Amino acid sequence: MSKLIAPCLMAATFAAPFAAAQNPRQIMEEVQRRQRSESQHYEGTLEVIGHGSRIATKRWVFDRIGAFGNSKGMLRFTVPAEVKGVGLLIVNHPDRASDQWLWRPNIGREQRIALQDRSTRFFGTDFSFEDLEERDVAQFDYKLLGDEKDTWKLQSTPRKSSQYTYGYLWVKKDHYTIVKVESYNKKGLVRVIDYRDFELAKGIWTARTIEVADVTRNSRTILKYDKLEYNLPMKDGDFTLDALRRGP
Amino acid sequence: MTGFLLLALLAQNFEQRGFIENQTLFYPQAAPNDSAHAVDQAAIRWEASYKLAPWLKLSGSLDARADTHRQVNREPQLNLDDRTAQRPALSLRELNATIHKGKVTAEFGRQIIRWGKTDILTPTDRFAPKDYLSSVVDSDFLAVPAARITIAGASDSLDAIWQPRFAPSRTPLLDERWTALPPELNGAAIVDVGARYPGRSQFGLRWNHIAPRYEYSLSYFDGFNNLPLFDASFDPATVTARAQRFYPSMRMFGADAAIPLPWVTVKGEAGYFTSTTPGEQDYVLYVIQVERQVREWSLVGGYAGEAITGGAANPLSFTPDRGFAKSFVGHATLTIDVNRSLTVETAVRSAGSFVRFEYSRAFGEHWRVTPGIAWIRGGMTDFLGQYHRNSYASLAVRYSF
Repeated sequence: MSKLIAPCLMAATFAAPFAAAQNPRQIMEEVQRRQRSESQHYEGTLEVIGHGSRIATKRWVFDRIGAFGNSKGMLRFTVPAEVKGVGLLIVNHPDRASDQWLWRPNIGREQRIALQDRSTRFFGTDFSFEDLEERDVAQFDYKLLGDEKDTWKLQSTPRKSSQYTYGYLWVKKDHYTIVKVESYNKKGLVRVIDYRDFELAKGIWTARTIEVADVTRNSRTILKYDKLEYNLPMKDGDFTLDALRRGP
Repeated sequence: MTGFLLLALLAQNFEQRGFIENQTLFYPQAAPNDSAHAVDQAAIRWEASYKLAPWLKLSGSLDARADTHRQVNREPQLNLDDRTAQRPALSLRELNATIHKGKVTAEFGRQIIRWGKTDILTPTDRFAPKDYLSSVVDSDFLAVPAARITIAGASDSLDAIWQPRFAPSRTPLLDERWTALPPELNGAAIVDVGARYPGRSQFGLRWNHIAPRYEYSLSYFDGFNNLPLFDASFDPATVTARAQRFYPSMRMFGADAAIPLPWVTVKGEAGYFTSTTPGEQDYVLYVIQVERQVREWSLVGGYAGEAITGGAANPLSFTPDRGFAKSFVGHATLTIDVNRSLTVETAVRSAGSFVRFEYSRAFGEHWRVTPGIAWIRGGMTDFLGQYHRNSYASLAVRYSF
């Protein structure tokens, strides 16, 4: 499901009738096509809410170069002060799960996040490390389950290694934006992700608010986007292990 | 208006952070050379960086410290020397310039340099002296004056380091509890007569390769051990022992690797150390560990080993890195929620053991309180066991900004 978090912020302006819309793969390819950009930058504010009350606020800055299976992302915490400078480098691949490295300034070394550890929550938020990936639609099988109001409901099953066994997606028919994701593992529902407050940014329909609920922990995280930019000039050299260590 | 714009532009390129911390250590037992049961230490650290150009960044950090136990020098002046026996009250912890162009990054100045992949014990981490003044089992890293050039490609990187001036680890003071004196010296006056420092520079190379299913590094170091041997003399007339620190030459051939397997990540690291200094051994230090995240638990466990390849053991040495060898080591952290965590760290040897529990809780965006307990057991002949009187409880309160 991970591919559905970041890229679903992007969708094209015009919702022209799509001839093959009843084919689930073509629906998802159209979602991906409309969300495609060469780079992305935003500043995110996260509120972690446990057992009904806010328990922490964090901020991070995220940059991405490339798109989907050929992209790299760099995420750095800016707030609170004790995690300021903590960074995550994500290198997405077209045919397999991403490579990820975590940098903690107080340790002074990068740490590779192993594949089997990707279901771990990312720094106390309700995002797992895998949720921060950006996978290509080709890494999933899709099944169209039907229409619900103004959305298509699809089932996605990852072809490659994932903490999730399947998920349900709701895709709005007008702009081909994903508005909700439910992710399941063998034991049942794990995460519910809602996308809200869509705005058009540089021709891409973007959710400015993402709410991730960890059903197993009764906890949720609300991520709000500020200073969102697409297609800014970025350098590949700013998305390396050396850049992770070097800092912004 | 122009001034505000200028300030806004400058602020965009300026980053800072820091903390104010007070830590109190409670020792239930007195040590033969230290009767204190409580030590309080306070620190303020301010780190700042400024990006002068997209390719040039200046970074620095300042420490201000005070304590009740005279591990901190009380002269209120900025200290630029990294060889003082005590911690300076005011010190320039880091000051360096980072130049980045294409695949090349160059860092010049006082900086913290870390190598290696394993935890608890990191044999190849040769440019990282530590501060062992307050605790041998919980030490902080010190910066070194160095030039570091990194050439990084997509899957390979080469790190070259030249350190023109030797920087030692800060060892426990001779009249305090983390210096464990042999029973024969009970009642003797111990005089620290300073240190002899190496005159030449240090040099190191590390090549790192990243592949989809593994990553590994090869490293080479030519310089000096940042941990000392001692020249000691005893005057029976005055019942006085005099000790002088000196730093043996060291050449290291090292390797480390991380291999994520379906269930665990296996990490290994080894260094072969040779020396031309009389009284220093040749040896191999290695660590093999496995890691796994299980829900909110982060688990690390492994074995740190040592094999002597030449020379006889020198009793007049301070070697906490080798002291943790021949141990089963473990580290577990439970993230209770976004604000609370529990950490357990342990090293178990045949004749000594160490275990530490820490509970940490954040309050709001700035405050964190960390109470902890460390329990050390064993006999005087064991590296850990010799500190068996130093089990302690601790309480740290930190305000981060």
